[in-house]
Amino acid sequence: MRRAFLKRVAEMIRNEADTTFFTVDIGMWAIRDVLKEFPDRCTNVGIYEDGMFSIAAGMARRGLVPTIFGIQPYLVERTLEQIKMDLAYQKLGVNVIGTGAAVDYPKYGYSHYCAEDLHVIKAIPGCEFIAPGSAKQFIQLFNQTYRNGHPTFFRVSDHPNQNNDPDVEFGKAVVMQKGSKATVIAVSIMLDAVMEVCKGKDVTVLYYTTLEPFDRETLGQYYNNGKILVVEPEFEGSLTFDITKSFEGKPVQIESVAFPREIFRNYGTYEEKMQYYGLTKENIEKKLEVLIRV
Amino acid sequence: MELISKILRKNALYLSHKCQDGNLQSVFSCLDVVWVLYDKIMNWSPELAQDADRDFFIISKGQATLALYPVLIEKGYFSMDEIAPQIGKFDSRYCIQTDLTKFEGGIENNAGSLGHGLPFAVGIANANKIKKSPSSVYVLCGDGEFCEGTMWESLIFASAKKLDNLTVIIDDNNSVGAMVDMGDMKAKLSAFNFDVIEVDGHDMKALEKTFKELKTLKNGKPKAVIAKTIRGYGSKTMIENDIWFHKSPNAEELDMLSKEVELA
Repeated sequence: MRRAFLKRVAEMIRNEADTTFFTVDIGMWAIRDVLKEFPDRCTNVGIYEDGMFSIAAGMARRGLVPTIFGIQPYLVERTLEQIKMDLAYQKLGVNVIGTGAAVDYPKYGYSHYCAEDLHVIKAIPGCEFIAPGSAKQFIQLFNQTYRNGHPTFFRVSDHPNQNNDPDVEFGKAVVMQKGSKATVIAVSIMLDAVMEVCKGKDVTVLYYTTLEPFDRETLGQYYNNGKILVVEPEFEGSLTFDITKSFEGKPVQIESVAFPREIFRNYGTYEEKMQYYGLTKENIEKKLEVLIRV
Repeated sequence: MELISKILRKNALYLSHKCQDGNLQSVFSCLDVVWVLYDKIMNWSPELAQDADRDFFIISKGQATLALYPVLIEKGYFSMDEIAPQIGKFDSRYCIQTDLTKFEGGIENNAGSLGHGLPFAVGIANANKIKKSPSSVYVLCGDGEFCEGTMWESLIFASAKKLDNLTVIIDDNNSVGAMVDMGDMKAKLSAFNFDVIEVDGHDMKALEKTFKELKTLKNGKPKAVIAKTIRGYGSKTMIENDIWFHKSPNAEELDMLSKEVELA
């Protein structure tokens, strides 16, 4: 996904004179040619996230289309006031691409983990949050949004889906299958695991890659007695507000497979973390069974 | 004090009275600088307010935003009759801080939180270079605002990008006298490769000369003006009583302070 993104950036800088790209000292090798050829619009700014957001906002104020690339926790947490003041409050469009989704840097400790990103961004109205499940989907969603004049955050994962890669549209859920016993919300890279569990079962599966704004309309059509299982690679409950709003007035029973809201103090591998925190097929299967039974 | 300085201050007092809020000490310290920029230096007029190549005035020290209205009223962009009854009201577009989404021209940024306006201005100046626009950017910062890390970070960027279309004005009203010792700001800014001039921030002729001199320097170096100012300048009461950092006048105080300004 990261490679696809950087290739798209190089193409954008080459062909679109009003676009700018700033990396906070990562991914340079992949775009070394455009860094050299277009130093005014394509810059490695160094380790400089917060001020970079304000600078990018200033460039957007002058009609340019800035894109920033960095590591997720520094992009969405260090910069929170810049997101609020410079982007959202002033309604200025900047694209923010973050690598290091959730626990993609599994050996670096809590400084590099960022399961809370969606929750943080959802706290600032007017921001968009996109979590593609594949390189193809990243390109589709980036192309649909990068000029829309809004602050848009892309969560780039190193662990894309391998078996399921539907076309996606910004702001819309994909109905993967329809059923009547429950509705399963599969978020981003969790689609493969969800489909493996749900295939052949009488449940609806909705696939979400745009998490803000959340497609409440589609979810609202699949009430299924209010039984909702959300499978999300973020902090548990990041989508609860949207889910309850989708069924306003009706009771819902929400089960979730997600990262717990705690400080992760472990290391190891990505797979070990997903296993430890229960973002697994087995746990999805178990939660779904309970949800349907109770 | 020049007549225009008195008019601007009296209007600021009146607006603060109508709004029942404001940071008047800070407004009074920078009013002369803001006026000189709009009146003598910037490529800006009401007709050019949305022109793509206009010069930009960015207010970084948000607590002095109330200085903008009196200046833009005198320049004929806003009218006191429109602002005074509205300022601070629930649905108004005029208040102590600005919201550019409510305006089509005249207001260039949203201030209020410190350490944002300078990097924002750097972004505009950088965009001007990319767009090959002749537009220059003037950004008004507080001396105390330089405690924020984003200020220094953006100076590095401005210098690296050779933004000689950027002028950073520091309203040096000795706020840091009450905070940490910032040391020699001129030396610090020079070390960041800025052309730096210190000037009396209440001497309009000196300010005009300084800005004009810097404007001619197309040497790849960003500019900085350290404007030596006095908090509450123009009102003895305000200079002597720091309560006026955040206080608005009642009717009686409005009358008393306006008289002080008149006699200054």
